[in-house]
Amino acid sequence: MRNNIGKYAATIGWPVLVTTLILLAWEISVRMLGIRSIILPPPSAVLETMAHRHDLLLTHLWPSLYLTVLGFLLSVIGGIFVAVLITYSAIVRKGFYPVIVVSQVIPKISIAPLFIVWFGTGTMPSLLLAFLVAFFPMTINAAMGFESIDEDIHRMARTFMGSRWQIFWKIRMPNAMPYIFGGMKISITLAIIGVIVSEFVASQEGIGYLIKLAGGLLDTPPLWDHRGRGKLGGLLAATTRGRRGRRRMMRCS
Amino acid sequence: MRSAVASSAPARALGRARDDGAAIVSIAALKKTFGDLEAIRHLSFDVGDGEFLSVLGPSGCGKSTLLMMVAGLIDPTAGEIRIQGAKVTGPRREIGVVFQSPVLLPWRTVLQNVLFPIELLKLPRPHYRRRAMELLRMAKIDEFAGVLPRQLSGGMRQRVAICRALVHDPNILLMDEPFSALDAITRDEMAVELQRIWQVNRKTVIFVTHSIREAAFLSDRVVVMGRRPATIIDELAIELPRPRPIAVTEDETFNRLVRHLRKAIEASHAE
Ligand SMILES: Nc1ncnc2c1ncn2[C@@H]1O[C@H](COP(=O)(O)OP(=O)(O)OP(=O)(O)O)[C@@H](O)[C@H]1O
Ligand SMILES: [Mg+2]
Repeated sequence: MRNNIGKYAATIGWPVLVTTLILLAWEISVRMLGIRSIILPPPSAVLETMAHRHDLLLTHLWPSLYLTVLGFLLSVIGGIFVAVLITYSAIVRKGFYPVIVVSQVIPKISIAPLFIVWFGTGTMPSLLLAFLVAFFPMTINAAMGFESIDEDIHRMARTFMGSRWQIFWKIRMPNAMPYIFGGMKISITLAIIGVIVSEFVASQEGIGYLIKLAGGLLDTPPLWDHRGRGKLGGLLAATTRGRRGRRRMMRCS
Repeated sequence: MRSAVASSAPARALGRARDDGAAIVSIAALKKTFGDLEAIRHLSFDVGDGEFLSVLGPSGCGKSTLLMMVAGLIDPTAGEIRIQGAKVTGPRREIGVVFQSPVLLPWRTVLQNVLFPIELLKLPRPHYRRRAMELLRMAKIDEFAGVLPRQLSGGMRQRVAICRALVHDPNILLMDEPFSALDAITRDEMAVELQRIWQVNRKTVIFVTHSIREAAFLSDRVVVMGRRPATIIDELAIELPRPRPIAVTEDETFNRLVRHLRKAIEASHAE
């Protein structure tokens, strides 16, 4: 029990410590070197802006957050679905899978303007882009998890007359769990990038929009603030996912 | 009846089931080719009800292939396998298989692994849970029922695999070199354990191995397969009293049997 609390404190403690040290070094170097706020504002200035304009920030945070989560969830569902198709359909595996892989050389961010042409400047382009960038690692990971089954395990299940359905739910799915959570970790961070970039290109709201706006006004502290938030949000999301993923995995076993 | 110790049956009678007990598994003119590769040319033998039969042969002669066909996992190219008179066309309930490696599911505890066939076969869980615990007790690993496989030693894992193969109470147990991944000491130990489990459960066992001593120690009868393309080249009844202690392997009678089997295998190499 005490050991558990200790471990928990360590998982929280170390990242907090490192972050604090980085921020401190940043603050000190900005002050000592006399760097102008417009080039690189110190964290204290960023925090001040955060506190000062929190209502503005919050109103723009929600749409971004909402689209990120939605795009992420869609990518998880879609990725697992396509992975199942890859596992069970020779046509998808041999025909579509290589195409999906090769298509990844296209920087998906460059499609953002196209989406805006198609769907206008509303939430749709952001959602689509978030989904699109998050979808790939989900698919690849889940497919890997479904397929990396030892041939002997498959045989063993067949000697006990396991059906395809049973083999999927009792072997492939639990086997894929760690892979799926690994994919989720990557996907959530990509979804955030997708949303912010899309808002950056064309949108009337969201963190990406604020970044562009502040950048245009040469108002660096808020700009840094959003970056910080984007980053912080990403970090937060990754760690909670990771922890929950691990817990989920333990429950599965 | 054959003479008490060792007698090689005349060539045309090779493979008949021992005694007059009805054959539970009968293999007739079995042939298996993989593309151009002829793995098994011609195999015919019967296995009697409750008999412990070893199939002894050099590596790569098609022993696993033979077991997979008996298990209904792959189809023979020609010939047929009958179990209790019915032709084998796919996996069957009355068969349990132990593979060369334990193939346990790493995310399931020992007990959950042993109960895995029960889930797949949709049998009543409470009843078989009790049976699973009994099997684990018999295999002396009941105290590890709640533990994950990675926390077990190789020998313990293979015991779990044996319990899993027995849990749904199959008539026939197929074992494909189940101890080949274990060290020599554990291997002897496991052979003694297996004999004990077999004496309690009295299944028909087809035990594949390339260890001559293991085959001689465990079996009622040993069928010797030659090099690929495989045929049966010899057969030997082992009529040593049971339970056989591991010390039996130092007896002259036992060693005579081992020599006989070795000669048969060497003769097939010389050809
Ligand atoms: N699916 C397959 N496709 C092609 N060839 C195969 C296949 N399975 C087995 N073989 C070949 O058939 C022969 C017999 O293989 P098998 O695994 O039955 O041998 P074995 O007697 O079990 O050997 P070992 O003692 O090393 O396990 C080998 O030459 C092997 O290469
Ligand atoms: Mg083999």
